[in-house]
Amino acid sequence: MGLVDLLDPFISALLLAGIYAAMSVGMTVIYGVMKIVNLSHASFMMLGAYFAYELFERFHIDPVLGAAAALPVFFLFGMAVYWVLVRWIPKSNQPTLPSLLLMFGLSLVLQNIAYLIWKNEDRSITTSYTLSAYHFGPFDVSKVRVIVFAAAVVSVIVLQVALRKSWFGRGMRSLVQNPYASQIVGVDDRKTSMLTFGLGTAFAGFAGALLALLFSFSPDFGRPFLLRSFVIIVLGGLESFSGVALGALVLALVESYSIFIPNMEASYQPAISYLLLVVVLLLLPKGIAGLLERKWRSG
Amino acid sequence: MKAALPRLSAKTALPLLLLLALLLLPSAGLSPNLVRILFITYVWTITSVAWNLVGGFTGQVSFGFAVFYGLGAYTAGLMINAGGSPYLGFIEAAAIAALASFFVGLPSFRLRGPYFAIATIGLTEAIRVIMSNLKITGGASGLSIIEHRQFRQVEHYYTALVAVALAVLVSMLIAGSRFGLALRAIKQDEDAAASLGVNPYQSKLWVHAIAAALTGVAGALHARYAVFIDPSGGPGGVFAFQTGISILLMPVIGGIGTVWGPVLGGVVFGIVEEELVVNFPNVHLLLYGILLILIILLEPGGLAGLLQKAFRLMRRPVGHSES
Repeated sequence: MGLVDLLDPFISALLLAGIYAAMSVGMTVIYGVMKIVNLSHASFMMLGAYFAYELFERFHIDPVLGAAAALPVFFLFGMAVYWVLVRWIPKSNQPTLPSLLLMFGLSLVLQNIAYLIWKNEDRSITTSYTLSAYHFGPFDVSKVRVIVFAAAVVSVIVLQVALRKSWFGRGMRSLVQNPYASQIVGVDDRKTSMLTFGLGTAFAGFAGALLALLFSFSPDFGRPFLLRSFVIIVLGGLESFSGVALGALVLALVESYSIFIPNMEASYQPAISYLLLVVVLLLLPKGIAGLLERKWRSG
Repeated sequence: MKAALPRLSAKTALPLLLLLALLLLPSAGLSPNLVRILFITYVWTITSVAWNLVGGFTGQVSFGFAVFYGLGAYTAGLMINAGGSPYLGFIEAAAIAALASFFVGLPSFRLRGPYFAIATIGLTEAIRVIMSNLKITGGASGLSIIEHRQFRQVEHYYTALVAVALAVLVSMLIAGSRFGLALRAIKQDEDAAASLGVNPYQSKLWVHAIAAALTGVAGALHARYAVFIDPSGGPGGVFAFQTGISILLMPVIGGIGTVWGPVLGGVVFGIVEEELVVNFPNVHLLLYGILLILIILLEPGGLAGLLQKAFRLMRRPVGHSES
């Protein structure tokens, strides 16, 4: 096995990690502020994919622009979902079963509305650059993957900076750290929660639109990615941005390098990330970041 | 054992009357289609009652019951194909499913609440992927079950009726026992329960195994009747995520944590499912989603809770002094 064979999965893992991070960020902010495990994240991603698809098919808008357009649309949609459904759920400082089942019910509704509209068939977006590639020496890198990577990384970085600098972002982060103290100093819990839910949904729609460039999709599109998002945010310690980036990279690396496991058929590959989820939940309840922190404190 | 003899109150008499009526029903000359719908309703009700033991009594929401359903179906299918008695196959299905419950439960019950629920999603999906690729399950193309006996619908009906009666009996016995109290204590506050001498981890494992065994029998009943099973991810596949969803929806709709709520949920689901699936393939899950949202937001007691409220409202004008 040559060096090229070993490095090729690394490049594809890196490119994959970008979009993985973008799709998990939305889940992290919602979990951080509201302690809701958003099971309808998958449906938001699926709707994002169809959003980009419809814009592309009807108005010939480039899917990357479509993804950008998904941000404000899904932001409003998420706020509406919060206002209609989520705000009635009793608040808690840990995830509750009613919230889990409510988001699950919403995902059933959205998914089956999608079945009614788009039917149960696989669709894909084929642009002029879908099949072209960049050549770096011995490596062929798919152009569309690079574009998706760039869009995802830029958006996550912009979000990170915006949350560091803005009042809303500070309020949000203070709610993550200590809900009681932040309410005492005047952070509006309801308003921040609503905006956060909008933000999380916006990023789910955005990531779904980008994923539609890479994979074919149907109304059942989001579930494998939902599970991956779980793995990532659990790996990342549930509440931090840098954790999400790290988790995304780890998962992408594991997936890409799993092709080297001998005697394993490719069809078993999805099982790896699902099993990784369980292993991570059990062994690293605070994620990699938590593990490093513990090491650092004790050492 | 002086308290064990049940008083013949409405609480025990009504279920017995119901059972008697259902036992006599086939001799009333029902159409084969109606018997089929009843059969399917019984199978679903078994899974609903089983799920409620873990999700309702103990408060551990699992998305992973399709694993036990599927394992039960395949165990019975393979046993029948090997020439064994189907009834032996049912017992083996229960045993295999219970065994698998430890495989799922030993790691995932280390986690609490929603983390347990998420872990069950991961495990179910992993097992489904593996099962869809194994040679013994017939891979994605499925398994045909050939039984060298004459097909008698009434036999299937009575087997399912006995199984569902057994499931309800188990549920009633657990609800009234010390074990049931321990489970409810775990649901309310795990740490407090542990401090009072309940071992939450072990109790969860045991109730999970019982529920898995019942679900395995349900899968086996389905397999023997359906004659063909496949593990696929689409609706109808025994290992499908959808199957796990259905098993979770029934008790939640009916009313979790009670003995009769899940039965009600299973019956409503079985009948509605059979009518809706035929006519509107995707509308049924849409309806269940809406129902789930409404139940969580408005009436966490489910249909059973709703009925109770309705009864109370009806009684109010008559007896003012009742408290």
